[in-house]
Amino acid sequence: MTRLQLLGLTVAAAFFATASVHAEGDKAAGRKLIYTCNGCHGVPGYANAYPNYPVPRIAGQNEQYIVNALHEYKAGDRKHPTMMAQAQSLSDQDIQDIAAYLSSLAK
Amino acid sequence: MRALTLLSFGAILAFASTQLLAAGSIENGKQKAATCFACHGTDGNAVDPQYPRLAGQYNMYLQQALNEYKTGQRDNAIMKGFVAQLSDQDIQDVAAYFSSLPTKLDTVHGHIQGDKD
Repeated sequence: MTRLQLLGLTVAAAFFATASVHAEGDKAAGRKLIYTCNGCHGVPGYANAYPNYPVPRIAGQNEQYIVNALHEYKAGDRKHPTMMAQAQSLSDQDIQDIAAYLSSLAK
Repeated sequence: MRALTLLSFGAILAFASTQLLAAGSIENGKQKAATCFACHGTDGNAVDPQYPRLAGQYNMYLQQALNEYKTGQRDNAIMKGFVAQLSDQDIQDVAAYFSSLPTKLDTVHGHIQGDKD
């Protein structure tokens, strides 16, 4: 019985984990959240100085790529001090919202 | 005098960035980028949303990303295999090519809350 309950719990946990990954992002919320991004990602051709790094264009970028990038920064798998700090301040839902909004801006 | 110093500093900066941008060949990059098209699209706009759009992304950012994949600073199993075959010149050429394509990308300027659409 205990084993069966454990199995049920595992399946339920896996289901919820998957469900949250595929949660729909809220574009209106994303539009508010990207206010901070403007400091670097709003300047055409901007390269920040410490460390010296060319800042990419992110408006119009593909949704799942943005989600993955922010989660990688958050987990420290992708390393850039500013982006790691920014991503750590974002919840999973924030990341979904930002990706939904930015990807909707494709020209 | 100060204006002259500033002006010459600007001239050096302009020269330095010209050098960096002049290093890649768009024409050669187009040939070398053939492998990239399967995931990143023939026009540099990936259809599968897990892959980034490269068309019109900044030249220097694309070079930076490719170099980071090469050194392992940016760790991605798929990209690692591809960049291992690219020389520094190849990276400059491929970046020159993708950055020259018509883009769907933009900065976030004008897209934040309170801005006009």
